[in-house]
Amino acid sequence: MAVSTIYSTQALNSTHFLTSSPSSSSKQVFFYRRQTNRRFNTIITCAAQQTVVIGLAADSGCGKSTFMRRLTSVFGGAAEPPKGGNPDSNTLISDMTTVICLDDYHSLDRTGRKEKGVTALDPRANDFDLMYEQVKALKSGIAVEKPIYNHVTGLLDAPELIQPPKILVIEGLHPMFDERVRELLDFSIYLDISNEVKFAWKIQRDMAERGHSLESIKASIEARKPDFDAFIDPQKQYADAVIEVLPTQLIPDDNEGKVLRVRLIMKEGVKYFSPVYLFDEGSTISWIPCGRKLTCSYPGIKFNYQPDSYFDNEVSVVEMDGQFDRLDELIYVESHLSNLSTKFYGEVTQQMLKHADFPGSNNGTGLFQTIVGLKIRDLYEQLIANKANAPTEAAKA
Amino acid sequence: MMSATASHGRAVMLPSPSGALQHQQPSIGSDMFRLRRKEPRGLRLIVAAKYKGTKMREEKLSEMIVEKVKEATEVCEADVRSEECKVAWDEVEEVSQARADLRIKLKLLNQDPLESFCQENPETDECRIYED
Repeated sequence: MAVSTIYSTQALNSTHFLTSSPSSSSKQVFFYRRQTNRRFNTIITCAAQQTVVIGLAADSGCGKSTFMRRLTSVFGGAAEPPKGGNPDSNTLISDMTTVICLDDYHSLDRTGRKEKGVTALDPRANDFDLMYEQVKALKSGIAVEKPIYNHVTGLLDAPELIQPPKILVIEGLHPMFDERVRELLDFSIYLDISNEVKFAWKIQRDMAERGHSLESIKASIEARKPDFDAFIDPQKQYADAVIEVLPTQLIPDDNEGKVLRVRLIMKEGVKYFSPVYLFDEGSTISWIPCGRKLTCSYPGIKFNYQPDSYFDNEVSVVEMDGQFDRLDELIYVESHLSNLSTKFYGEVTQQMLKHADFPGSNNGTGLFQTIVGLKIRDLYEQLIANKANAPTEAAKA
Repeated sequence: MMSATASHGRAVMLPSPSGALQHQQPSIGSDMFRLRRKEPRGLRLIVAAKYKGTKMREEKLSEMIVEKVKEATEVCEADVRSEECKVAWDEVEEVSQARADLRIKLKLLNQDPLESFCQENPETDECRIYED
């Protein structure tokens, strides 16, 4: 008769314990199965958590941004606020991912910031020690009581319990500001919106509001600019991927910000991350897909691909200017891009269609956000496979 | 495009921060208003706020935008480079973004932020179904 007993690792005398190694974040369970003729041990790694941490720097609010929705969608499942909790929570949870808004780490609430004379962009308004501790804890598989910053009342509400997820995304103004937090990130993204596009987007966002006018929108952007340039913008040098959004070059003097030129700047040499390329890796390509095989409506689509240098880092840049009008344009473009980390032909298109009503679905913003989502999935799977192999290899030794 | 929510003639009851809006103390709201929630009439296509509490939040945010823009304009008249001016416009941005986020949630994602709360606390005032 086979008897299975489970012993805690401390009870065994073997010297091959990996849980004692500080680098391992997985708990291990040893199964002993005693059979009549022989005895053998099997070591099964029961990973408590292999949390992958992604940082996203964006100045467009938290957790409700379409980028996050696209990202979580790649992993499957819709991301929703925690059920039964504070309705003003900024957190989003899906099966695989939890998205935390870094505004929750404000050390000063709205009144406090007014008193001290600091904006939310200022590092003095944020508790980086707490941010570091909690991200570190979640990464190690420990749940945390995270504060909630209420954007409606401007107050810090009672904390909410966050369980360590498989993928943790920290989104906000300062994911890469603190060096210790930076080191915890497995991948980081910076969403770089140019001033002209920012202005156009904010007009679209605010003009319907009673309180706003062109002047107030402009004044708000300008007043925040010094702090933004001083504290937020420098983070882009640390990002593994930068999505740069600029006005189109296809329409002369376009200032509506509807047609966009989007550049995906990807750092070379990042572990588990292979940059997307067009046709021939490392070369310089200029590509207009519209022609005999594909008809596009005005202003069409233009792609560029080239190696480049960005803040002393070697990067590869894929750029799309223009917009998709039809499904077949999207599929055509997808079929010519390489290293997309898709699991099947047409996956990028499928993901874009899933969220066809989201802003940016017909241009480079949606396209590159989706691609970055697939890259993160790829990175996650590689990381997990790698961590799973390490203990079993060490056990064999 | 969201139409401007003006409260012409309508008395809008804005809950205080320590009142019904905070999940921790829902009883303050329901103690004051012991009205029972009406049963919803059939299926309702959600394109706007479903619950009264959300509608109130929308209106509150819109009003805050008006207030804070006015404040910022005044403060900055003195010195456009002062800290007070920066902070005032930052508040405008914060509230504008919060307003936009709520709009996105309702229109694009069809999620009312009070959905989960109201499933558990249908009796509270802010969980009354909002009827246009």
